[in-house]
Amino acid sequence: MKKLYGVIVALLVAAMLIPACAPKAPDCTKADVFCVGMVTDVGKIDDKSFNQSTWEGVKLAESELGAHVQYIETTDAKDYAKNIATFADAGYDVIVTVGFALGEATYAAAATYPKVYFVGVDQFQAWQYDDDATNDRANVAGLVFPEDQAGFLVGALAAQMTKTGKLGGVFGTDVVPPVWRFGEGYRAGALYIDPNIEMFIVYHSDVGFDKTFTDPEWGAATANSMIDKGADVIFGGGGKTGNGAVIAAAQRGVYAIGVDTDQYYTLPEAAPRLLSSALKLLTPGTFDLIKLAKDGAFPSGNYLGKGGYAPYHDLEKEVPAEVKAKMEEINTALLDGSLQTGVSPVKP
Amino acid sequence: MQSSEERFSNPILGLLRAAANALLVPLLAVLTAMIIGGIVIALAKGDPFYAYVGLFQGAFGSPKALSETAVWATPYIFAGLAVALAFKGGLFNIGAEGQLAFGAVMAAWIGYALPGVLGIDLPAIIHIPLAVGLGALTGALWAAIPGFLKAYTGGHEVINTIMMNYIALNLTSFLLNAPMKDPNPDNVIARTPLIAESARMPIIFEGFRLHWGFLLALGVAFLIWLLLWKTTMGYEIRTVGANPDAAKYAGINVKRTIVLTMALSGLLAGLAGAIEVTGLNYRHELGFSIGYGFDAIAIALLGKTHPAGVVLAAILFAAMRNGATRMQFLTQIPVDVISVIQALILLFVAADAIIRYIYRIRAREERVVLTRGWGG
Repeated sequence: MKKLYGVIVALLVAAMLIPACAPKAPDCTKADVFCVGMVTDVGKIDDKSFNQSTWEGVKLAESELGAHVQYIETTDAKDYAKNIATFADAGYDVIVTVGFALGEATYAAAATYPKVYFVGVDQFQAWQYDDDATNDRANVAGLVFPEDQAGFLVGALAAQMTKTGKLGGVFGTDVVPPVWRFGEGYRAGALYIDPNIEMFIVYHSDVGFDKTFTDPEWGAATANSMIDKGADVIFGGGGKTGNGAVIAAAQRGVYAIGVDTDQYYTLPEAAPRLLSSALKLLTPGTFDLIKLAKDGAFPSGNYLGKGGYAPYHDLEKEVPAEVKAKMEEINTALLDGSLQTGVSPVKP
Repeated sequence: MQSSEERFSNPILGLLRAAANALLVPLLAVLTAMIIGGIVIALAKGDPFYAYVGLFQGAFGSPKALSETAVWATPYIFAGLAVALAFKGGLFNIGAEGQLAFGAVMAAWIGYALPGVLGIDLPAIIHIPLAVGLGALTGALWAAIPGFLKAYTGGHEVINTIMMNYIALNLTSFLLNAPMKDPNPDNVIARTPLIAESARMPIIFEGFRLHWGFLLALGVAFLIWLLLWKTTMGYEIRTVGANPDAAKYAGINVKRTIVLTMALSGLLAGLAGAIEVTGLNYRHELGFSIGYGFDAIAIALLGKTHPAGVVLAAILFAAMRNGATRMQFLTQIPVDVISVIQALILLFVAADAIIRYIYRIRAREERVVLTRGWGG
């Protein structure tokens, strides 16, 4: 018996030591090898949210541009810099970092590795707007989004789906420009369909920054009072506050609309009544920036991606064909610029 | 067979033999866990050989890798010592996570706010020890509460420390989201402002993140060893841990010792948090330090609750966490594999009968008394 165990162990060790087929990684330091690395925010690559959507954009660069692509999942926030450096030290040409939290580490790495292009997803580059040229980093692009277009789309959808002619929108503070753009885009989209529609739009600007995005109870209560007043579609935008509104709406049985990514996957409580979500299209935005880097036309500073709306999922059958067609028409018009939302970038 | 004379005649050899005996089961546990981990990697369509090459390179393959492993090891050593010390006193401190969080929050506050509150610039020689010391003290006070409840009401420390973890983590979340949040208008993350330069522990080598906290951790490990085996207080802690009734009849103040043990344990956990803030991150952020307090339990067990063992186990866990990045970089397998291997190591160390059975090792060492049940 003792020998048998010894043999088994020896075999296992031997099996480990003989690589079945050694993956030969290309040498990214060579000029003709184009390598793209992605560092996730704390979380997994298949999070059905920001990490996954961004990775799909990186994968597009693999299939379309022949890039060699790899990812590193961050397990602890203190590893941001190390994970970025792992790619940079290996000679990667483009490094994509996902989420606002990696902004500082990405900006710092851009100075350390001036020959590497950095794509910061959802990382607003404030230096573009200050007068101090020493803050500028030519090799960083922050991928930001036209939230007003995404809001416009779901607003148009809501206006076509309402039976009461009353819509609700629950948002975080309007002092934060993206939130303002989501909310006013929503208003503009609904009015575009029906100028007489009644809208309840509330921003949680009555509290401080600390509370405005983390108040699901307020979000739920506000959504409920709108439903009591007859609203039958609720758009929630603004972190946990908005999520509270979306979940409350779904529980009351009215249509709910999510924000940022397809919340059908991230808010299962609301999924059965989730009409759509106002999307930041991370996949094409990420791909575009990688392609621009490869073509030598990398835009430093803030790069505006595209907005969109999520599939109807469980409510597919409830949405009439003409509404679906109208939505595609509006989407196309927004993308080619023939339709403008008319929303100012920040609250005037 | 060896006579006791022989052992005494060559103390170094004796020490080595004792060390080898103590290390045998943990080392075999690590080996076995890595073999099974290799199978898991192969099932995940990865190449175990490259994965382990990557793991090793990432952990020890360059000066930078070594520095990062030491950086990872630092909180693990402190937190592992915290849990190990409690074990020695017969207490199971599951609350290291919460104590660590409070230590970090306090250190961060001292770091960024105190100069403003006092209206003076603190020199580093005062500011750093103040941030670290008060952070540690916060952890100690927080841990003393379940210690007190255990000693004077019989409330079991396992339940109470778990409960207090929730309080600590949610309170931390509130503090970082509200009163202590970085007020920079661009910031949307639950984190404190950066601490003042004067509160930052210096790094050891230019260009590496390794800071003096690592050496402090090694020093503290030595101090804990001194405390446990060379002082009356340590003797009392160990006696209460081994048999509280005997301790009581021997005239030891059992209640006081229990509170003291928990407070010391919390002090170490608080140090883990305070050192992370002052030495590495320069702020406290909600995403930092998730799970160190729980990894610490595994580290204390793997280290057989001995300070030297804890240091080795902490370095092993740190190497795995640190090397995981390169492992994933080379093979694109999920970093969760590391958690699987760590869990297997823990399983084999806790249930060492499995290892003894597989490798035919006779049981000869005393069992470590970890904790007792209700009313113990």
